[in-house]
Amino acid sequence: MIDVHELTKSYADLRRGKFVAVDSISFHAGPGQIYGLLGPNGAGKTTVLRILSTILRPSGGQATLNGFDVLTQPALVRRQIGFVSTNTAVYDRMTGWEMVEYFGRLYGIEEESLRQQMEQLFARLQMNNLRDTLGSKMSTGMKQKVSIARALVHDPPVVIFDEATVGLDVLVARALLQTVSELRDQGKCIIFSTHIMREAERLCDRVAIMHCGHILAEGTLSEVLESHQETDLEELFFQLISRHDAQQSEADVSNA
Amino acid sequence: MSISNVKLILMRELRDQLRDRRTLFTIAVLPLLLYPLLGMAFLQVAQFTQQHPTKIWVIGANELAEDPVLIRDSAFPPELCLSLDVSNLLQLELEEDRQRLGEDDDPDTAAREAVQDGEFDAVIYFPPEFREQLEQFRDRLPDRATPVGDVLNKAVIKVPSPRIYYDTARDESRIAHDRVSSVLQKWREEIGRMNLEKSQMPLAVARPFELLRNDVAVEEQRRAAIWSKILPFIVFIWALTGAFHPAIDLCAGEKERGTLETLLCSPAGRTEIVLGKLLTVLIFSVATSLLNLASMGFTGTFILGRLQAFEGNMLGVHLGPPPLVATGWLILALIPLAALFSALSLAIAALARSAKEGQYYLMPLLLIMMPLMMLPMLPAVRLDLGTALIPVTGMMLLLQSLMEAEYAEALNYALPVIGVTVLCCLLAVRWAVDQFNNESVLFRESERLDLGLWLRHLVRDREDTPTVGEALLCGVALLVIRFFANFLDMPKDWNDLFVLTCVTQIAFIATPALLMAIMLTRRPGKTLLLRMPRLTAIPAAILLAICLHPAAMLLAQFVQHLYPLDEGVQQVLADLFGQAPNIWVVLLMVAVLPAICEELAFRGFILSGLRHMGHKWRAIAFSSLFFGVMHGILQQSVAATVVGCVIGYLAVQTGSILPCIAYHLTHNSLAVLASQMAPESVQGIPANEWMIRFAEDGFSYQWPVTLTGTTIALMLLYWFRNLPYQMSNEEELQQTLDHQTIPESRAMG
Repeated sequence: MIDVHELTKSYADLRRGKFVAVDSISFHAGPGQIYGLLGPNGAGKTTVLRILSTILRPSGGQATLNGFDVLTQPALVRRQIGFVSTNTAVYDRMTGWEMVEYFGRLYGIEEESLRQQMEQLFARLQMNNLRDTLGSKMSTGMKQKVSIARALVHDPPVVIFDEATVGLDVLVARALLQTVSELRDQGKCIIFSTHIMREAERLCDRVAIMHCGHILAEGTLSEVLESHQETDLEELFFQLISRHDAQQSEADVSNA
Repeated sequence: MSISNVKLILMRELRDQLRDRRTLFTIAVLPLLLYPLLGMAFLQVAQFTQQHPTKIWVIGANELAEDPVLIRDSAFPPELCLSLDVSNLLQLELEEDRQRLGEDDDPDTAAREAVQDGEFDAVIYFPPEFREQLEQFRDRLPDRATPVGDVLNKAVIKVPSPRIYYDTARDESRIAHDRVSSVLQKWREEIGRMNLEKSQMPLAVARPFELLRNDVAVEEQRRAAIWSKILPFIVFIWALTGAFHPAIDLCAGEKERGTLETLLCSPAGRTEIVLGKLLTVLIFSVATSLLNLASMGFTGTFILGRLQAFEGNMLGVHLGPPPLVATGWLILALIPLAALFSALSLAIAALARSAKEGQYYLMPLLLIMMPLMMLPMLPAVRLDLGTALIPVTGMMLLLQSLMEAEYAEALNYALPVIGVTVLCCLLAVRWAVDQFNNESVLFRESERLDLGLWLRHLVRDREDTPTVGEALLCGVALLVIRFFANFLDMPKDWNDLFVLTCVTQIAFIATPALLMAIMLTRRPGKTLLLRMPRLTAIPAAILLAICLHPAAMLLAQFVQHLYPLDEGVQQVLADLFGQAPNIWVVLLMVAVLPAICEELAFRGFILSGLRHMGHKWRAIAFSSLFFGVMHGILQQSVAATVVGCVIGYLAVQTGSILPCIAYHLTHNSLAVLASQMAPESVQGIPANEWMIRFAEDGFSYQWPVTLTGTTIALMLLYWFRNLPYQMSNEEELQQTLDHQTIPESRAMG
């Protein structure tokens, strides 16, 4: 479903100069699977997900979603995905219903089936109270529900969640994780990025721990823990990152 | 591209903007309230100015004759004033009423001080013996024994002039001056009339005839002429400012609110997104303009009506509403220009990270557009082919012609005006789409401006060839250096010209480009295209320049016809070149040096960098624009831009600077030789009449030669087209994107 091979993204800015945000990473995620991208802030998770959703172009490597290449077939890739991120806000001056309907129509869904799909979504996500509420009047949790409905309105085979629980209260976060789990059960391929290890432990079938653009460990949860002889994912996460930072410091000193 | 997606985005953006109170206030409420309020305030001020009493101090009133009377009961008599109101407003203080002048006081100083201190709005000073001299003059008029001319001349010289003291820096004083001058002129006319009576001469001596004015313009034409100057400026300036707010909100505002990313990951393509937003901005731009126009029209008509009631017909015409047809033309012309403004605003607003930043970025657009909009208001600027080709200005002039019902003139230039406007619109839309495809624009993060960091970044993070930004920086730097080089002393003779040209070419063009290539790139040789092309490319380039020379001359003559070069400048250039010791030195200065220096800069550094944009033709066009503007004189710039495109194409296709130098050298050498050509120099050459001709504007080719040359040139260009050339990474990617043909059905499956 999602095949990422040697994917690289580099930028240049004044402070850091040319730097590699994502450094030749590869992974595969299949249908009915939740793939967790774990990493601290600045690890490169959002960059990977923006490339997969065709908002950014890769500098090297290849990524395909449902067989479509993100670089050469971006329009087709966008039809395969639903993207929920902390950066994908809702429109302040549109109601919840209007917003989801707008995106549904952009996907070219027929009016009648769109209405039915929206009714189901609004019921499933318990957001009927948001039908006539303007975005500016919604709480963070309400906005996130609308974002999820917007991402699912065209029933995409791939759904990407980029730190989707950030800023949500416990109840809403729990409901969101439940939704993600249900989507997996429907056979969708989910990419779930987070820096909260408990969420990954609870949800993900496979995980990749990212730091400074590299994947430090990848596999099923048990594979990753066993290969590093650890029992706690959070502990492993700290170890891997500390080790990588130490190696990086040594390399910098020897280069200097 | 999906039209339904464009429509969806348009409808959403429209609804969104209409729900925004700030937008509604700017577009609808502000014009509807502001102008009536401003109008009322203006009327109050005007009324105050009209009713403001004027304090006048009259020094030497006792020097005035009793007949005709100037001052009666300490006031000007109403018959000398424009109206009874004005007579009442002129409050006189006579010297006799107030002993402010001592025996030794200088009246001139006292009068100046009185006005400067603001104690009086104006002072009238009648010098001593004014009455006596005036009476003597009159008394001697009937003395026919003396030759009339002598008497009159002497008498006039002896009558001293009364003086009015006023202060143009104060409005009240200016008004006082106007009122007093009018009274004194009438009084002087009355004295003149009495003098004529006294000398028993008819009044016709002073006014032998009256001027009868016949304005052949009908009322509607006069109205149209006035409106055609005012309305286009008002309408277009509002169209421009009306595009600003929605453009900022739809780009920078969406970035700030985080909704742009939501839209970017939707199935809508970037072009669809831009078009949807563009149409929204366009609608608001047009609506703002029309609402402002309507509100200003109503308020303006009301105020002018009131002012005309107060002060008479100031404009010489009753300024009613503009003719209906004129308004129709105005609305028709508004749409393409509003589209241009909207696209430019959208592209610029896309650069901004926040609404506040967007306002800063859009200000330069206003500063560029203002002169283009004000140019047509100058009296000497008329619609011709030259002005028709200037964006915005051409459209305003065309509109003026249409509003004044000069349809024949408008029809003559409608095509070039529409062509230029449509071209500018398309380029602006393209630019806006590119901005939405540019990651560094869409996801630009805030960075502190640090010159040191930036310079370090330029050197530290060098690529093989320059980046687009570095290429643009080089182009702008060369133009700035060129601008300041203009302040060097003008060449006085040939030696000065030679030295100046050499310094300009080597120090101001080649050296900056070479330094930048060495400092900012890893492979200066690759950047400057310093490699051998296939051997046939160089002779082919020379042949191409020869074959295109007749067409190039034709273009140069056409440009000269459109924008004639000042004859003085032509003469100075001819004189300077006339001092050249021989033709070889001229060729060295005009052909060899520019061919090397300019090619290194424009086809070397700048074009290599611009090719990272991903479109070779766009890179060629931009580098040619820099090359053209660098030439400084408009007439040269237009032709140089076209030549730059041809040379740029050779640079891309051959990957080498040598064919470019060969072409440039040949082109400039032929231009020098053609300028030296005289009828006698071709005598004896067989069939020269068949190939060339001499006219008033100099030497040119016969059309069969031009046609044949152009045909061969096209064949040569086709040959160059088939050469395998090295694409930049970005060009390869763009080609892949352009050629992808995946059936849509696969996506949905």
